[in-house]
Amino acid sequence: MNFLQPWMLFALPLMALPVVIHLIHRNRHRSLPWAAMMFLIKANRMNKGMARIRYLLIMAMRVLALAALILALGRPLVSSKLGGFGMGRPDLTMILLDRSASMESQDLQSGQSKRSTAIAKLTELLEQRGYGNELILIDSATNELHPIEAPSDLFELPWTQPTATTSNLPLMMETAIAYLKANEVGRADVWICSDLQSGDWDPESGRWAGLKEDLTDLKGVQSYLLSYGAVAKANYSVRVENLKRERINDQSELVMDIFVNVADKSKDANSAESTTDPAPSVEVVFEQVRSTVELTWGGEVASLIGHRIPIEDSQQSGWGYVSLPGDSNEMDNRYYFVFSEPPVRRAVIVSADPKNSAAFKKCLSIPMESGIQHAVEILDPSRIAEIDWDNLALLVWQAPLPNADLATRIEQWISADGVALFFPSDVDAKGSFMGASWGEWLQVDDENLRSLTWWRSDADLLANVGNGDPLPLDELKIFQYAPLKIEDANWVGTPLAKLDDEVPLMLRHGTSSGAVYFCQTLPVTPYTSLEQDAVAFYVMMQRALEQGSQSLSLASQKDARFGLTEELKDFKSVELGDKTPSPSERGTLPGVYSKDKQWVAINRNLSEDSDDLASVEVVDPLFEGLPYQRIEDEVGDTESLASEVWRAFLFFMAFVLIVEGWLCLPEKTSGPKLKTAFSSTKS
Amino acid sequence: MENKDSKSSTELIHAEVIAKLAGLGLHARIPMLGGVSGRHRSPVRGSSLEFAQYRKYVPGDDTRRMDWRVWGRSDRYFIKEFEADTNLRLGLIVDTSGSLNFAVDGVSKLTQMKKIAAALAFLAVRQGDAVGLYCAGKEEKTLIRPKRNAAHLRLILDKLSNLKAEGETCLAESLHEAAEGVSQRALIVVISDLFVEPKILKDCFQHLKFRKHDVAVFHLLDQSEVDFAVERPTRFLDLEGGDPIMADPSMIRSAYHQAMSGYLSDLDQATRDAGVDYHRVQLNDPVEEIIARFLIGRTPKSKGASRR
Repeated sequence: MNFLQPWMLFALPLMALPVVIHLIHRNRHRSLPWAAMMFLIKANRMNKGMARIRYLLIMAMRVLALAALILALGRPLVSSKLGGFGMGRPDLTMILLDRSASMESQDLQSGQSKRSTAIAKLTELLEQRGYGNELILIDSATNELHPIEAPSDLFELPWTQPTATTSNLPLMMETAIAYLKANEVGRADVWICSDLQSGDWDPESGRWAGLKEDLTDLKGVQSYLLSYGAVAKANYSVRVENLKRERINDQSELVMDIFVNVADKSKDANSAESTTDPAPSVEVVFEQVRSTVELTWGGEVASLIGHRIPIEDSQQSGWGYVSLPGDSNEMDNRYYFVFSEPPVRRAVIVSADPKNSAAFKKCLSIPMESGIQHAVEILDPSRIAEIDWDNLALLVWQAPLPNADLATRIEQWISADGVALFFPSDVDAKGSFMGASWGEWLQVDDENLRSLTWWRSDADLLANVGNGDPLPLDELKIFQYAPLKIEDANWVGTPLAKLDDEVPLMLRHGTSSGAVYFCQTLPVTPYTSLEQDAVAFYVMMQRALEQGSQSLSLASQKDARFGLTEELKDFKSVELGDKTPSPSERGTLPGVYSKDKQWVAINRNLSEDSDDLASVEVVDPLFEGLPYQRIEDEVGDTESLASEVWRAFLFFMAFVLIVEGWLCLPEKTSGPKLKTAFSSTKS
Repeated sequence: MENKDSKSSTELIHAEVIAKLAGLGLHARIPMLGGVSGRHRSPVRGSSLEFAQYRKYVPGDDTRRMDWRVWGRSDRYFIKEFEADTNLRLGLIVDTSGSLNFAVDGVSKLTQMKKIAAALAFLAVRQGDAVGLYCAGKEEKTLIRPKRNAAHLRLILDKLSNLKAEGETCLAESLHEAAEGVSQRALIVVISDLFVEPKILKDCFQHLKFRKHDVAVFHLLDQSEVDFAVERPTRFLDLEGGDPIMADPSMIRSAYHQAMSGYLSDLDQATRDAGVDYHRVQLNDPVEEIIARFLIGRTPKSKGASRR
């Protein structure tokens, strides 16, 4: 229970007033000469049981009535969800709002989404309970601080509207903590509104340990997690992959794979059984032409591989979308695609080692698909200035690590979605790049040849092939390798392959855009058997080149994020769907944009389709030992987080006073009998 | 509550009261054995004009009282007997315990008791009956034997006017003493608040009845004592000198009423069983009404209020 006017509770000692008055009354007695003492003595003797209990009850009723009155004046708030007692009014309230696509899951009856339900309930609560001197919103799309004038503004502000972006809860917490530290707020409430998606929370991240330490240092911060973990109904999401323009038998065609995922809370996530739902129909819209295609189930995913749409030979680019019928989340029912002539996939190999550079070139020169042109060039480290960065898809660096200006230039190129593969140099070279440097080469003797025991097979360069078979990396032999030395404490890297003693052989450095890979060995003998086992090496290099070439394409698919707003500044919108973003947030909602011959399709991040929710057993420990409360809410639930109950206290007071009055009623039995006795005389 | 108990003997009897009671006589409910002729029936036959009965002649009877007309009609000898009239001995037993100091609106039980006793004494002496006074108190145990002259009335009235109520009651002992001490039949009038267990009183009344006394009781009990309408917690001072009691009336009122009700019920039963002429008196009741009610209740129904 909480109180809107908690200072009224200081009046609670007044509830002892009846007792005090009683005691004063006893001490202010008068003396009365009395003749009929024998009856007083008898009455006192008889007054041991019920009469005393009745008197105590009367006293208790009076005390309760006063207590109820004081509590009612304190304007109590109660909630079956909030619970707890003694929450004071904070000096500052911060709202961390998850605006990701998954938060748009709706209750179909009420039409309320997780996001809108959270906003409505928080608004009501803050209006009732107060929010202190400041109310600040941090939304997941911008991760910026937005001061709010009044809770009711939350409904209309652009920073609370739906987006197709993802959330980064640790980053939002860091922003909040930084503000709290900078402003030294005394008592702060932090409300986190989220649907507990694992990808958004990233509970395995080491950042949470630091956040927990910071929160521990910040005294007076109370965290509330308003969670919406459950999906109201089965939700379908559609996506398009492998879109390409092909020309077969003098006919140009657009080829694509269409997938439909289903997230159904009613089904056991561990069940291996395939769904028995009818195959979903997907509407494909291209050039104002609508067609409906049927998908077939394969496990938890329905798919249509290699769907072809005939196009004019002259049509070099264009856009379209696939869509599903309406369900509980509209945000994942449409997927936009754009296409254009595939660019020439240019790769540069910076190496002074002819043997290795030849191996790289051999793998990169042969395209995996017809109609794709590859251009591979080997440059000596001294000729780096010749690189045409604007048309470069992949940089293979097998030379001493770049320093100073060159490193800055490469980082700029990577941030523009470039892909760089770094291999150790075969000569001793000092220098570091992005906080990492190569160590000394380690020689493995013939008797203890090293091999890979683990590699990331679900995504990235070493993922399984299309039919699900893994790359033949288990046969790889490693004879020499140069371990990567991490010099920056904040360096973040994801292992892609590990040796048998858990030492990572290949890592991907975490960057906001583009990709940077560090491979700790070389493909040729006497380093590894990678070149000899050419399949894995070829696939890895081709994937890196394809990934890098996407940034060169005139048509690009991008995940919705706030950072795109600046990139799309000069683009005109072609298709925006039902929801039109404000100019300041045009990169946060799905749509198609174009400028000259460039096309950009913005869709939600596919991680938002996942129904992998972090369990409370995982989330709660992130706040263990801190003032923290989790409130599980449901979409469409109309029950307030808290409601005023002063009327109940007044009713209770009235009831108590009625009981008190009833207990005080004089007994009617003895009086009349005694009066009539006087009129009678007898003889 | 102002106590105005110190009254002169003349203040105890007002002319208005005398005037209102002028037509009423004091009668005993049973025959009395008096020393002189009076207006009350006697258990022995006498020579009054009031025919009593016939009885058969036995040798030794006075032949002057033989009814010759009956002999002429029936040839049998019958003696014609007449009622004997005698005087009455009125024994006033007054309670002088401290509880008689209880007063309401300036009128105490003691004052009311004095007025009733004085009025009865005056009435008795006026019709030639003897009056005696017994004070039933631990501190005051006066005994004035019954006499029937005016000077004796003056003595009794003086004694009454000087009576003070103090100490504990010894009503029960006084009643037993009176039962034993008054040798001849008498009208015993008890004026008290009767704050004694009804069972003990019943024994006293039966003792008096056994001694063939006509017993009447004036029970001084005010309505305020019955209602117990005191509101605030009060320190109740025992007028008979006992320990005071601190009590909240609202807490014990019910029990008090219960005790009072039981007491009155038991007392009622005790007086009925003992054949006592019982009258409850409140402090604000006019004395003439109390006495008139008492006298009317005792007037013989068959012979009228007065024979002379």
